Amino acid sequence: MQRFLPSAIVLAMVGAISGCNNSEPQGEKITINKNPYPSTYAAMPRTNVLIQNATVLTGTGERLDDADVLIVDGKIASVGTDLSANGAKVIDAKGKWVTPGIIDVHSHLGAYPNPGVESHQDGNEMTSPNTAYVWVEHSIWPQDPGFNTARAGGITSLQILPGSANLFGGRGVTLKNVPSQTMQGMKFPEAPYGLKMACGENPKRVYGSRKISPSTRMGNMAGYRSAWVEATEYKRAWDKYNADYAAGKAVDAPERDIKLDTLRGVLDGEIMIHNHCYKAEEMAMMIDLSKEFNYHAGTFHHGIEAYKIADLLAENGSCAALWPDWWGFKMEAYDMVQENVAIVDAVKNSCAVVHSDSGTTIQRLNQEAAKVMYRANENGFDISEQHAISWITSNAAKSLGIDDKTGSLESGKQGDVVIWNQNPFSVYAKAEKVFIDGAKVYDRNDKKYQAKSDFMLGQP
Amino acid sequence: MKLIKYSALAVALAGSLNVSAETMAIINATVHTATEQGVLKNSTVLIEDGKIKAISNLQLDADKIVDAKGRILTPGLIGSMNQLGLVEVGAVSASRDGNEKKGGITFDPSIAFNPKTTLIPYARKGGITRDVIAPGWGDGPFVGLSSTVDLSGEFGSVVDAQNAAIVNLGSSSKGSRATGLQKFIDKLDKQHKKISKPKKDDKKAKKDAKEPSKEEKILNALLKGEKPVIIRVSRAQDMLELLKVKEKYSLDMVFSGAKDAVVIKSELAKANVPVIISAMANLPGNFDSLNTSLSSAAELEKAGVKVALTISGDSSHNLYQLRYDAGNAVSYGMTSEGALKAVTANVADIFNIDAGRIAVGQAADLVLWSADPFEISTKVDSIWINGKEVSTQSRHDKLRDRYMANSDMPHAYTH
Repeated sequence: MQRFLPSAIVLAMVGAISGCNNSEPQGEKITINKNPYPSTYAAMPRTNVLIQNATVLTGTGERLDDADVLIVDGKIASVGTDLSANGAKVIDAKGKWVTPGIIDVHSHLGAYPNPGVESHQDGNEMTSPNTAYVWVEHSIWPQDPGFNTARAGGITSLQILPGSANLFGGRGVTLKNVPSQTMQGMKFPEAPYGLKMACGENPKRVYGSRKISPSTRMGNMAGYRSAWVEATEYKRAWDKYNADYAAGKAVDAPERDIKLDTLRGVLDGEIMIHNHCYKAEEMAMMIDLSKEFNYHAGTFHHGIEAYKIADLLAENGSCAALWPDWWGFKMEAYDMVQENVAIVDAVKNSCAVVHSDSGTTIQRLNQEAAKVMYRANENGFDISEQHAISWITSNAAKSLGIDDKTGSLESGKQGDVVIWNQNPFSVYAKAEKVFIDGAKVYDRNDKKYQAKSDFMLGQP
Repeated sequence: MKLIKYSALAVALAGSLNVSAETMAIINATVHTATEQGVLKNSTVLIEDGKIKAISNLQLDADKIVDAKGRILTPGLIGSMNQLGLVEVGAVSASRDGNEKKGGITFDPSIAFNPKTTLIPYARKGGITRDVIAPGWGDGPFVGLSSTVDLSGEFGSVVDAQNAAIVNLGSSSKGSRATGLQKFIDKLDKQHKKISKPKKDDKKAKKDAKEPSKEEKILNALLKGEKPVIIRVSRAQDMLELLKVKEKYSLDMVFSGAKDAVVIKSELAKANVPVIISAMANLPGNFDSLNTSLSSAAELEKAGVKVALTISGDSSHNLYQLRYDAGNAVSYGMTSEGALKAVTANVADIFNIDAGRIAVGQAADLVLWSADPFEISTKVDSIWINGKEVSTQSRHDKLRDRYMANSDMPHAYTH
């Protein structure tokens, strides 16, 4: 063996020199397909729709009484009074309320579907603290009956996230809440991907109990930092390759790593962070972490203690997606206040979101927002319905990076609309008709528009 | 006495002094009685010694007068089948006292009930005045005994210990559901045979008359119908099987969870078996619950089944939400009156609680609401437990106030 070594070194040196040789012809450019499971979503059958005489909450902070909403070619054409349109299907919504389609930024539908049998536990890849390589879209069972019950609650878009067992849980995906036999058929076109991260008790419990890191909160932080160091190197390698190739150099592409592809996507600003993180001190550190590695900290989910650092969240441009009242199930969920969303919301440039994380409450995000509004108003706030609706519409859209497409009733936005039988902030409110891209996808009074999952079909 | 009464009244009206009241009258109330009396407008409820003494459309004299100004007065809401006071933080194992793997039929967590838990004042925000705490799981089928507690937050607030036996049946991830059912039946069978043996000669009878064990006493109470047996079960066929057992031994049987109860609603009504259900449970969590919907409570009510509502999921921390669940039940077809009973009188009936109705002789657990008790915009204006006014302020309010206060000093100095 010994005698072969020098020649091996020579060969390696020759190779290294030839790699920089500008005269060498370039190989084929290696590019990474960033969308290998593309959306095949197409709007359901639709007509133009004119909703008349409703109380309209636009999602932009406005309330219009006795107003009309016109949807043409699947898009919001206009909102105002005395609108008319030839050939549009007219719906008299006198006494009813109209809002943008409701958006849930935190759902596990399809990944933790019903029935909740062992074979359906597809939401948490609990095999390594960093599973940034998994994509939750690959777990989604489109026949989860929960998609249909959520739609009956006015949910038109939702982000499905992996669970919170890992420091990096994997990619989330945003869906249009339409029935389809494939995930791709539901996938929200051009919505950015999310990356689920998790702070606190869950990762340290799951891995600490197996005597591997992290077993502490400092272990959590070390885990994130190591991963971002690696991702930074990976990004540097690819950026260099791309630059060198562009400069005409014959260079070899770095070795592909699907875990690092996702982290690099965050560093490139293409993938948005969705961070399960309850406590004030942890959220503050996650913001510093994002600055250390030059990415945006994104949206904090659950944020039981967000109210303690409301200024910091707004300053950093981070949304906080919160429950109105869940608490006490873990130590990190002990300091809940019912006004959490309202306190976060009250700061300038804030982005307060009400989320569900539940197949049950996703059906009533309107009531979840109502709880916050009324409890806050009993304690010194003055929040209106037209403002509070933004927590489950426009702010949610912002959190997901789809606010240029949906989340409000503005001209040009997608025709995602809910007609409620009454003020949606009432316990007696029910979504009557739900539209996605102008197509009626749900009608409480017409069985023809009530989708049923394959699983439920023909059951006794 | 009369003179003192009037002066006390004057003081109370002036609202400047906290008088230790002997009697209290809530006047001008819209009283939702949760009884056959229905709703009584412009009525007075007179309270003495912690009990409701009179309900009248006249203004009754009392040491203290509370003017409801037409607002709605209901019985205090009663939660059930949760672990209030038996858990502080779900994931903190040392703060959990509600379950025992090998607890069995005699397991009574109520002696560990903590009236000082932060969950209690929080639950009062939802107008909850009483609660039935129950073991959640164990090897089963018998997992222990439930107890009624009041939400005064004071020591000694376990009002009625060991008021029902809790049994968990139905789908099983290990082995067959048949085993649990069989064990349940066998246990009753064996004890029934024992107590129905014909009396033999005196010597033998004396020998047999030794003090029955704790377990035997409980089984005897079940077999005599003195104590209800609450069975967590969801599949319709399982419930039908249990109805046979009920009939055989004349048990006071109640189904809890009971997701698919709608499938056998008329059988349940006929057998006079109440159900304790969540109004929000409309997802097919497993193959035992394919027929549960948001209309289940309404359909059961219509069929004549006695329905009690409880919170699903973390029912201890979220107990305060019970009124919203009732509102949703109404939204999906339950009568308002039925929904109120489902969170008051019906729970009281199932667990033999002397509260849950605004009726003479009942515990004065009362809630004065700003408006419709089920509506999200409504809040508890006043709440009484055993005639004593209690607060709805909890640790959560302290945290809110701390972080909303303006101060140059760190928040830690605001308290």
